[in-house]
Amino acid sequence: MEVEIKVEPGRQEPKIVILAGEESGELRRLAEELSRLALSPVPVSRGEDKLLLPQGEFLRFYTDGKGVSAQTAQEVFTVRLRLYELEERLDQTRFVRISNSEIINLDRVTAVDLSLAGSICMTLDGAVKAYVSRRYMKKIKEVLNGGRRSRGERG
Amino acid sequence: MEEGGAAVREDRWAWLVRMLAGGGAGLLAALIFVPYFMDTRLVNPVMCLLCVALGVAAGLATLPFADDGKSLLLRSGAHFAVTSALFVLLMAQFYGWWWEGLLLLEGMLALLYALIWLGRWIGWYMEVMQLRTLLGLDAGPSPLKWRETLPYAPFVLLLCDGLPLLLRWAEHEIQRGSILELPVLSALILPFVLLPAGGFFAGVSLGKRQGVCPLYPLACFVCYLPMLSLLSTAELFHGFLAAVPALAGNVLGWMYRRAVPKRGDA
Repeated sequence: MEVEIKVEPGRQEPKIVILAGEESGELRRLAEELSRLALSPVPVSRGEDKLLLPQGEFLRFYTDGKGVSAQTAQEVFTVRLRLYELEERLDQTRFVRISNSEIINLDRVTAVDLSLAGSICMTLDGAVKAYVSRRYMKKIKEVLNGGRRSRGERG
Repeated sequence: MEEGGAAVREDRWAWLVRMLAGGGAGLLAALIFVPYFMDTRLVNPVMCLLCVALGVAAGLATLPFADDGKSLLLRSGAHFAVTSALFVLLMAQFYGWWWEGLLLLEGMLALLYALIWLGRWIGWYMEVMQLRTLLGLDAGPSPLKWRETLPYAPFVLLLCDGLPLLLRWAEHEIQRGSILELPVLSALILPFVLLPAGGFFAGVSLGKRQGVCPLYPLACFVCYLPMLSLLSTAELFHGFLAAVPALAGNVLGWMYRRAVPKRGDA
């Protein structure tokens, strides 16, 4: 396969075009993989600084009454986007809404525990706790059963 | 937000449908059973009302479980308080204000609640195990650690069933022909020394290996129950003399495990 890179000054996001004689399953999978790899980074703020961080860096996105925050393993940033906007933008096989106020990165879950009162607590990177609302359990299982499994099969 | 609003509307519908279905079932039960139990053709309106109210409460029984955490505890507690009040009032209509009987019935209702709660919790735990597996994590211990407790079942059977039978048989053999029969082994040494010590030390061992296993003390108590009908020297409190030290030993073993982690655990 021939690979060519063209640099376009001023372009914000990279664009990939696949040229082929005919469509095939392999090509579709390749396109899916590329679009996943090329998922746009998330714009965040740290005080006055504006940063673009890759999605894989984030543990979770949550609202705390004041606005939306994004937490990585090292620090917490402010995000301008709303949770539902983030939900659309994030990799839907990796990020999932676990309650009205929180989206987590499933790749960073290191433990899942159940309390006596039925609260499900997910631990991210061994330290950050996130509580799952029962209303979102079905959706979480769908994501885990669907998208992630097909990703695993291909990998 | 829209999703949340739709969920609330769906909840309200579910509440309403279940309230109506429960109330209808309660009314039907009142019309069929009240005349039968009271041996009259007239239906007492107070009883009828209480049956309908109890039916509505039963219809709403599963809804507190839709939530979790503090909200679940509050809703479940409120539901139990209302149901038990209605239940006492209804039973008092049947049997009068006979407090001992009413307390016994309330105890049975509380036990039923505890069993439903336990069943629901096991369901949630299975969901958590499924989540762990899907996430590629270790599935964790079995619900209530029943599988982890299983290797201790033969010991519990020996301690609570085999040993009492053996000691009773030995007493008969030793005292055969004697006029005075003192059940020292089965009525003194077994309940006050062997059952507590055996339950305790095996509990420590289980706690050190697997943490708190609630089914272990329960198994000690339940396994001793057949002795009540088989041995004349057996008493119900002997079951507690096995179960309480078993629980204490299990918790102690778990505390030891937390305080002194195994090499390689860290």
